[in-house]
Amino acid sequence: MSTVTRTLRNLWRVGIRDAAHQLQNIGDTKAGILIGTDRLGNKYYEAPVTTSKHQELPLRTRWVDYANSEYSPDQIEPGWHNWMSYSTDLPPTEDPLSQTMKRVWELKEHKPVMTLSRSAYRPYSTTKVKIASWEPVSKARS
Amino acid sequence: MLGPVRSTASMALRARPTARALISFRIPSVAFISNTSHKHAEAHAIEPSSSTALRKNRAEVPLPSQEQPKSAIQYALTTLDQVANWARQGSLWPMTFGLACCAIEMMHLSTPRYDQDRLGIIFRASPRQSDVMIVAGTLTNKMAPALRQVYDQMPDPRWVISMGSCANGGGYYHYSYSVTRGCDRIVPVDVYVPGCPPTSEALMFGIFQLQKKMRHTKITRMWYRK
Repeated sequence: MSTVTRTLRNLWRVGIRDAAHQLQNIGDTKAGILIGTDRLGNKYYEAPVTTSKHQELPLRTRWVDYANSEYSPDQIEPGWHNWMSYSTDLPPTEDPLSQTMKRVWELKEHKPVMTLSRSAYRPYSTTKVKIASWEPVSKARS
Repeated sequence: MLGPVRSTASMALRARPTARALISFRIPSVAFISNTSHKHAEAHAIEPSSSTALRKNRAEVPLPSQEQPKSAIQYALTTLDQVANWARQGSLWPMTFGLACCAIEMMHLSTPRYDQDRLGIIFRASPRQSDVMIVAGTLTNKMAPALRQVYDQMPDPRWVISMGSCANGGGYYHYSYSVTRGCDRIVPVDVYVPGCPPTSEALMFGIFQLQKKMRHTKITRMWYRK
């Protein structure tokens, strides 16, 4: 629900600099509390729960400010993804269960999707080729 | 350990396979796996340094996203491209080619929970008005000519998202007599979304990847280079 009054109200709350940043990246002005920052530098915000009519709509109360300008949802760490998708009430800074990269079997660092980069997955076949190419060999005339 | 084998294999697949590259790739694996009685007698006579020779020829070319503008014209054209790409990303109209259960998930993408309209994505029933075709579901041999015809009717620029295992490579019906083993046999595919069926979130992520690809498309820069 984006109205002119709501956009201006949030602009008044967060200030011109942050509002310009938000309009550039998420196309909306949002006022909230900084909940935490993950290892990549993404900042996670949540709008406080109020009874006023200016409350954010359901499922729009948590959002992320990406550190990378080429942002993509796969840059969110698993624990924070858990929180972003409303699976838990507590963020991973407070909930030990959503903290990742603590267990032995977990990856040491979060790896985003590498499509369109140099580390992109490149498939290769391990089976024998079905068509054998034939190279014509002719003996030199004596 | 896998390094040289893998690079040799990928080189052999990418370039026109020379006999040497193919045979050196076969030595370690296929000698045991092969179930045919035919054997290459000359396979054992290849020197082991062929893989390192291939590796030396490899040249690092910057990715399209890594190239930087050099002249004033290129800077201007980069800005033009950014404007054009922004416009393309902002109104991505998909042609729905719903063939099976994947289409249900594709429909969920347009419902309020995932709300694709906020991204400027509106389903069009006509190929003349659409930019991207989402092939969702099993492509059968009977449907393949229709798919190609619809693709041919779309105006340029056009993209194709292959959604689900069936459209990617036949999936569950790979060995059926009547199924096309992947829609990339019919049309050029930009993004493959895995899953059976993929969730709406996965399809949305595929659309984000396509938008990323669009962002790095050089439109006027390639025209200027020519």
